Amino acid sequence: MLRVSLREIRAHGVRFALSVLAVVLGVAFVAGTFILRAMLSDTFDSIVESSLQGDAYLRSISTTEEGLPDGPPDPSAGFGGARDGIDITLADELADVEGVAQALPDVQGPIVIVGADGTAVINGQAPSLALALHPDDPAVDLVAGEVPVGPNEIGLESSALETSGLALGDTTTVVLGGEVREVTVVAEGGYDSPTSGATLAFLDADVAADLFAPDGLVNSIAVYGEDGVSQTDLVDAMTETVLADHPDDNLEARTGDDVRAEASAAINEIIGFIGTFLLVFASIALFVGAFIITNTFAMSVRQRQREYALLRALGASPVQVFAVVLTQAFAVGLVGSAIGLISGVALVDLIRWILSRFGMNLTGDAPVTAFTAALCLGIGTLVSLVAAAVPARRAALTAPVEAMRDDVTVTEKSLRWRALAGAALLLIGVAATYVSVAVATDETPWWGLGPGPWLGIGAGAVLVGMLALSPVIARSTLGVLAAPFVAAIKPLGRLARGNVMRNPRRTASTAGALMIGMALVAACTVLAASARESTTAIVESEYRADFVVMSATNAVPAEAVTAIADLEDVARADAVATAPVQLSGPGLEPTSTTVIGVPPEAFGTTLEIETLSGDLATLADGEAAVHTSAALEYGWELGDRITLRTDVTELTLTVGVITNSQALNADVTIGQDQLTELLGPAPANVVMVAVDGVEGVSPDELGEQLDTILEPYVTVTALTEEELVNQIADRVNQALVIIYALLALSVVIAVLGIVNTLALSVIERTREIGLIRAVGLGRLQLSTTIVIESVLTAIFGTVVGVVVGVALAAAVRSVFADQGLSVLAVPWDQLAVIVALSAVVGVIAALWPAIRASRLPVLQAIAQE
Amino acid sequence: MGRHAAPASISPEPADDPIASARGLTKVYGTGATAVHALRGVDVDLGRGRLTAIMGPSGSGKSTLMHCMAGLDTPTSGTVEVDGRVISSMSQRQLTTLRRTRIGFVFQAYNLVPTLTAAENITLPLDIARTPVDRERFDTVINTLGLGDRLTHRPTELSGGQQQRVACARALVAKPSIVFADEPTGNLDSRAAGEVLGFLRRSVDDLGQSVVMVTHDPRSASYAHRVVFLADGALVGELHDPAEADILEALAALGEARERDAS
Ligand SMILES: Nc1ncnc2c1ncn2[C@@H]1O[C@H](COP(=O)(O)OP(=O)(O)OP(=O)(O)O)[C@@H](O)[C@H]1O
Ligand SMILES: [Mg+2]
Repeated sequence: MLRVSLREIRAHGVRFALSVLAVVLGVAFVAGTFILRAMLSDTFDSIVESSLQGDAYLRSISTTEEGLPDGPPDPSAGFGGARDGIDITLADELADVEGVAQALPDVQGPIVIVGADGTAVINGQAPSLALALHPDDPAVDLVAGEVPVGPNEIGLESSALETSGLALGDTTTVVLGGEVREVTVVAEGGYDSPTSGATLAFLDADVAADLFAPDGLVNSIAVYGEDGVSQTDLVDAMTETVLADHPDDNLEARTGDDVRAEASAAINEIIGFIGTFLLVFASIALFVGAFIITNTFAMSVRQRQREYALLRALGASPVQVFAVVLTQAFAVGLVGSAIGLISGVALVDLIRWILSRFGMNLTGDAPVTAFTAALCLGIGTLVSLVAAAVPARRAALTAPVEAMRDDVTVTEKSLRWRALAGAALLLIGVAATYVSVAVATDETPWWGLGPGPWLGIGAGAVLVGMLALSPVIARSTLGVLAAPFVAAIKPLGRLARGNVMRNPRRTASTAGALMIGMALVAACTVLAASARESTTAIVESEYRADFVVMSATNAVPAEAVTAIADLEDVARADAVATAPVQLSGPGLEPTSTTVIGVPPEAFGTTLEIETLSGDLATLADGEAAVHTSAALEYGWELGDRITLRTDVTELTLTVGVITNSQALNADVTIGQDQLTELLGPAPANVVMVAVDGVEGVSPDELGEQLDTILEPYVTVTALTEEELVNQIADRVNQALVIIYALLALSVVIAVLGIVNTLALSVIERTREIGLIRAVGLGRLQLSTTIVIESVLTAIFGTVVGVVVGVALAAAVRSVFADQGLSVLAVPWDQLAVIVALSAVVGVIAALWPAIRASRLPVLQAIAQE
Repeated sequence: MGRHAAPASISPEPADDPIASARGLTKVYGTGATAVHALRGVDVDLGRGRLTAIMGPSGSGKSTLMHCMAGLDTPTSGTVEVDGRVISSMSQRQLTTLRRTRIGFVFQAYNLVPTLTAAENITLPLDIARTPVDRERFDTVINTLGLGDRLTHRPTELSGGQQQRVACARALVAKPSIVFADEPTGNLDSRAAGEVLGFLRRSVDDLGQSVVMVTHDPRSASYAHRVVFLADGALVGELHDPAEADILEALAALGEARERDAS
């Protein structure tokens, strides 16, 4: 029997090649996803390794952690998170501790570097940072040049040097600490691992300390031990000396390994959504792959029904026939998974290339762990076996008399159960989605689940439900979709319609893979458009200024702010600044957050903020504005007292107004004076300046003046309302590019699935094709028929997918309504383009099967068994 | 050659106005030692407005002859003329057009496109050619075949005999110059076969069609105006307006001749 199995594989080369292809596609997708996940986490781990190389760290005890100074590291407390600064001079004390080779305070801050071409060296959304470089800094390799000395020398990290186009010895402009400065590049420094797109520069340690730690406070001090001193020994030595000398400073010493583990955990949590996204994607991949595999096996078993009947007639038992099919499935699954694994690695290289276009460099090799390999081989083989089991059972139960029949009539099972199950799932999905929207609006979890999980359950159930239902709706939908073809291209349209409708189950599952991909594409498109519309709405309703000055680095230099205010034609220049604080109040333990500071006079002039209760004017009296989402979450009301704390001071303010603003969406907004008080000598981070011209100055004129004075700051630009909208929309699109790239992959796989099904159905219909060719159908006409079939299948999948996608996007929009998605916008034109593109996709998918079919010799086709 | 003569010799007797004719037709499959000579120089004229049957032992080249004359296959050498056109030198494209306008086919099995109704199957060649259906002709054909109440059914809902009648209707509705039928009754019982053959004969007598069919069954062949015998790729005899008994006799003689040759 084994021989029969393997002979068949050889005899039906093309059919099995197509089954293998199906497995390859599915497994490649899964493998790719897993490898990518591993690679991302490797990349971030190595970033942590290279940026935190100390053997031990001194820092203050976290104020959010419930005092567990000696307990295990708590990842949620984050790395550098809610901690007070420590005195930079402690570094000198540490350096004297026995066993300590060096103690280097962590000093860093934003920088803008102007490259050789006169533009800022900046990489998408990645930060641009200046770090203190100490002589003999163990963390950085000095590749070339000397350690920068004094305020007018800098070093650049190797990849930043390369992108800047500068060379050692060149002078260039930088924006540092709010000022424009001329500097000479004197050093090239390197890390062991990629910087993941961040632009890094090095400064003289004292200069950096003056700039970024003006209050003499730093986040932490890295301690490097002498050779042979273990990390725990270092911590013990630090505890006995420095910690003992400063018992009231809330200090703690931690081993380097602890801190790195903490940082990794924190970063992994931050990028966790990428991991979740990829996992969701992998399951979709698996699902789509399983679909294609099942389809392929169902078809190929059906085609060989007579052979199995013959085997049965010759005395093979059902179990033996079952085994024949399963053996084949096993072989197909194993071979396909192996090739799929290799293809997955290639896929990751492709994705990595795409990501590197967007400035995100990932580490070295695509790591194929034994786990990934085993998982892929296992899943591929298992899915093949499961997918083949149903058809195999059918093959095994073939009545021997089937062998004598001329046409194998396969009775299609009724779709009733499918319809019921699909409808039930769909209902559950809709209900769960509805719950998620309700949960999001009321902000009260249901059964302990927030809107996110409910939305996930809803979306999943809706998708699966639609997949189950699609054969049921296929007949009627395809009838409508095919009508134009039937009317326009006689009789090919009708032939094609007959072919796609004769087995709705198959057409639906072929279209299913595309449906999933297109649902996601449509959802993303709708969300992107909604984000754009929402921003437009915010900008139009909340920004009243002629110009908004912003920086690509998200920090407008203080010097620039003064320069703008000093312009004669400027009536108002309201700086919106942010500062990290610890917020507490009734029912809220101290929590790290960002507070916004605005000159109170801005309200009603350059900014128009919706208030729900209270009065914005109270900000001038030193009261605070609380965002409605925070007010709801913490149950705060007008008159409540809240506390803001920084390293410098602590302010307790009265809640004077509750706002509902998208522009100022921090929990708390305070007056500019209060912000300055909180920050002390540290500079505020100005995120934007709203500028109004004096009466009589034309916007063009004012724009020109602003452009002139902002030019030296390179990354700072003055935007009109419209430009601001475009810029925000561009950022949204940039973020979506990666998602689109992944989705494009799923569409490609779906297309290959269509190719697969079409090719198999051509094989299945060989005799029929011979017949219609014999009665006079030309080759081109035959090809056209197959193209129409493919286009119909593709459009069917896309239309259903788009409908589902739009519906889901609408739900997602409602859930995130108060997080910037205030308006639902459905870009019908773009969706129409997607449907039109799917027709093109259909044509492409049909090419190979159509050519194959048209090349079939008529006589042989007719004689085909 | 009389009605009762054994088909020992070939009578060239070309009809005055044949609808299709072959001259020096050979067909060789494969090359070298494994070459199969399916046709070895066949000269034949098929009469206009006549029902011609081709008979012969299995493997004698009947199907091959028919495929070559119908433009489904290209001969190795020799010429084929159908309705005044030399088709042996036509391109594939020309042959495709020829098939849908001038030639009708009925195969032994699997004649119908399963996704189309009976009526759609019948008009398929016309639809492909984008020629309007001649309603009168359609009705005549349908009435002759007695298919009126089955037109909206799909092939799977028809019996084997009905399917073959639909196939015949399809072959005839476009008024082809000639209809080729390869064992059209091979899968049918004698009653159903009788219906189909009766119809083919009527289409010749009443509609003036020219029909050629391959058959193994002497009874079926007896419906024909003329029976030609093929053996080892060559024409070995013929009968005109034969009775079933004549055909049996002729086949027996053919068998004896072959045994003699073989020994
Ligand atoms: N495609 C082919 N390749 C090789 N040899 C072929 C091919 N088709 C037919 N033959 C050979 O040509 C000879 C004639 O075949 P043909 O099909 O014409 O016979 P036939 O008279 O129709 O037989 P039957 O009554 O069994 O249908 C046979 O010996 C056959 O083996
Ligand atoms: Mg034959």
